[in-house]
Amino acid sequence: MKLQVKIALYNAFSKAIIIISMGLLLPAIVSKEAYNHTDERLMARQASALSMLKHHELDAIIHAQDCSFGDYNIFKEEFISISPVEKLTPEFGKIKIENVEMNMENEVVKHRVLSQGFIYDNQLYNLQIGEGLKTMEQFNISLRSFTIKVLIIVILLSIFIDLGFSRILMQPFNKIIKLKLKDVSHPTSFQFKSVKTSTTEFAYLDSSINEMMIKIKEAFEIEKEFISNVSHELLTPISILQNRIENIIADEHVREEVRLKMVESERTLIRLSKIIKTLLYISKIENEQYLKNESCSIKSIITDVVNEIEERLTEKNITLTQEWTEDFIHQASNASLLHTMFFNIINNAIKYNKPDGRIGIKGFKEDNHFVVTIEDTGVGINAADIEKIFDRFKRFQQEDGKSFGLGLPIVKTIANFLNIQREVKSEKGVSTTFILTFRNE
Amino acid sequence: MNVLVVEDEKGLSHEMEIFLNKQGYQCDVAFNGKSASEKVFINAYDFVLLDLGLPDMDGLEVLKEAKKAGKESAFIILTARGATDDKIKGLDLGADDYLAKPFSLPELQSRMQAIVRRKHGLKTNTMKIKDFDLDILNRMVRCGKKDINLTKKEFDLLHYMALHKNRVLTRNQLTEHIWGDILEDDYESNYIDVHVKNLRKKLSAFAPVDFIETVRGIGYRINI
Repeated sequence: MKLQVKIALYNAFSKAIIIISMGLLLPAIVSKEAYNHTDERLMARQASALSMLKHHELDAIIHAQDCSFGDYNIFKEEFISISPVEKLTPEFGKIKIENVEMNMENEVVKHRVLSQGFIYDNQLYNLQIGEGLKTMEQFNISLRSFTIKVLIIVILLSIFIDLGFSRILMQPFNKIIKLKLKDVSHPTSFQFKSVKTSTTEFAYLDSSINEMMIKIKEAFEIEKEFISNVSHELLTPISILQNRIENIIADEHVREEVRLKMVESERTLIRLSKIIKTLLYISKIENEQYLKNESCSIKSIITDVVNEIEERLTEKNITLTQEWTEDFIHQASNASLLHTMFFNIINNAIKYNKPDGRIGIKGFKEDNHFVVTIEDTGVGINAADIEKIFDRFKRFQQEDGKSFGLGLPIVKTIANFLNIQREVKSEKGVSTTFILTFRNE
Repeated sequence: MNVLVVEDEKGLSHEMEIFLNKQGYQCDVAFNGKSASEKVFINAYDFVLLDLGLPDMDGLEVLKEAKKAGKESAFIILTARGATDDKIKGLDLGADDYLAKPFSLPELQSRMQAIVRRKHGLKTNTMKIKDFDLDILNRMVRCGKKDINLTKKEFDLLHYMALHKNRVLTRNQLTEHIWGDILEDDYESNYIDVHVKNLRKKLSAFAPVDFIETVRGIGYRINI
């Protein structure tokens, strides 16, 4: 999950917790406030009723109605009653406010009721003033549903705003990841231009990557220079020796035994020269000194290699067959490197094959990539050794004294450089198969 | 033909001089870029064999100056630097060929001969070896009027030995010419012997091939 989505989700989650808890508390607070207001209203009415009694304004009503009086409005929302009391209780005279379910004309109506006893004309009375709770409860329900709706809208809005904001916030970071890490396959293709940001941490990250890349680039340059120097310093003396030996061998006046020794020396020198050239070749590929700017037909390259190597096949009487369902054009590639890679694989298939053996080359499309398999009927490799065959100077076949164990390291280096996936399957004494998978990015 | 060898390694220039003199070239040597530039200006060389890693300047500068001055000498770049950039740059600047060190002297000579043929458009694109005619342009071998079917490598081998007639060529020199710069895991193989065997077999069906001599322990020689 992307960091900006995570940040937006965490934000939304924390806001949701706050808003939900507020949503739960709000109706309770509102309800308490509403009760307080009702109670205050009831108290005011009680004071007004008692003051009317003091001024004998209610005499007529009380006496006319047999010492008791009761009245409510048509919606049964408010009522007042004055009724005589027989006994004097310890609670008499104290104001009591409570919720009471009242039966009014066969209808139970919940009320907030204030009751208080008083003495009038030597008679004990109980005054009750009530106010209906129905409106208040309905208001509470409406408030709750309104709050839930508002909450949902607020949470959704918050997620969208956070996503948008974190996208703007993370833009420089994403740019650093893309330009400075993802798009960089080699120090030479690195862009040193700083990414514009006002966030201190991102600016620090950007400059740290730049500094690191400068160091890596320097190391690559040093290696490049080293390769060039080694080439010159080692190959020049070899060149002198080789030409001197050639002149001695060609000189008819030199004794034959000396010339024979010179041929031996030439052989050793050629071996040394080939090892140095191969190691430099591998280093140069690893140092990205080869271009990847050609579109190569894999089938044509393999056909060229097979033509070039034909005599070696004939010599061992090896049959080579090719099966192609289609050709594949490898983009951003290097024909010369591909040639060398296939040359070494097919040459190995010949070298380690049995006389009268077979080599089968297949090319086919699989999903969105192209696979080339090269199978021989050769001596095979032990399962434990398969991984090591690509290591430099490792030889797993009988010592023939003619190879130096650098053929497959070349294959490995080229395959890595050109992003070709390689796999080897082998059965000792039966066969070896090289599987190469090509993809166009 | 006049040849200027521009090479600061005296050991190497000396060996090249011995070889080229033996092949009938008039050889001159320059050990640094400055003296090379002077010599190229004063003399009309047929060939300049140019090392790139000179002590005082880049060999490519010598080439650039000479081309600017309209010198028609053929340039062959010799370098141990091995950078592909140098090769491309050199050829772009008008060099005629490029040889990576270490190279074999017969290989150098065959490159020089190829340049002569190319530059002067020599009509004699055929070589005669006893009863056989080599058509270099079409890469064909004929015996009288009969075509002989040789593989690419067999033709290259015969042509190379014919170019260096009467000189013994080692198996390594022949291998280097035929397989070029391909880096493979074999530093010594008997493929050359197989090719020579096949070549003798194919040619002997038309005429005697005793001119191809096996020099014991060393290599092969064509005696004409």
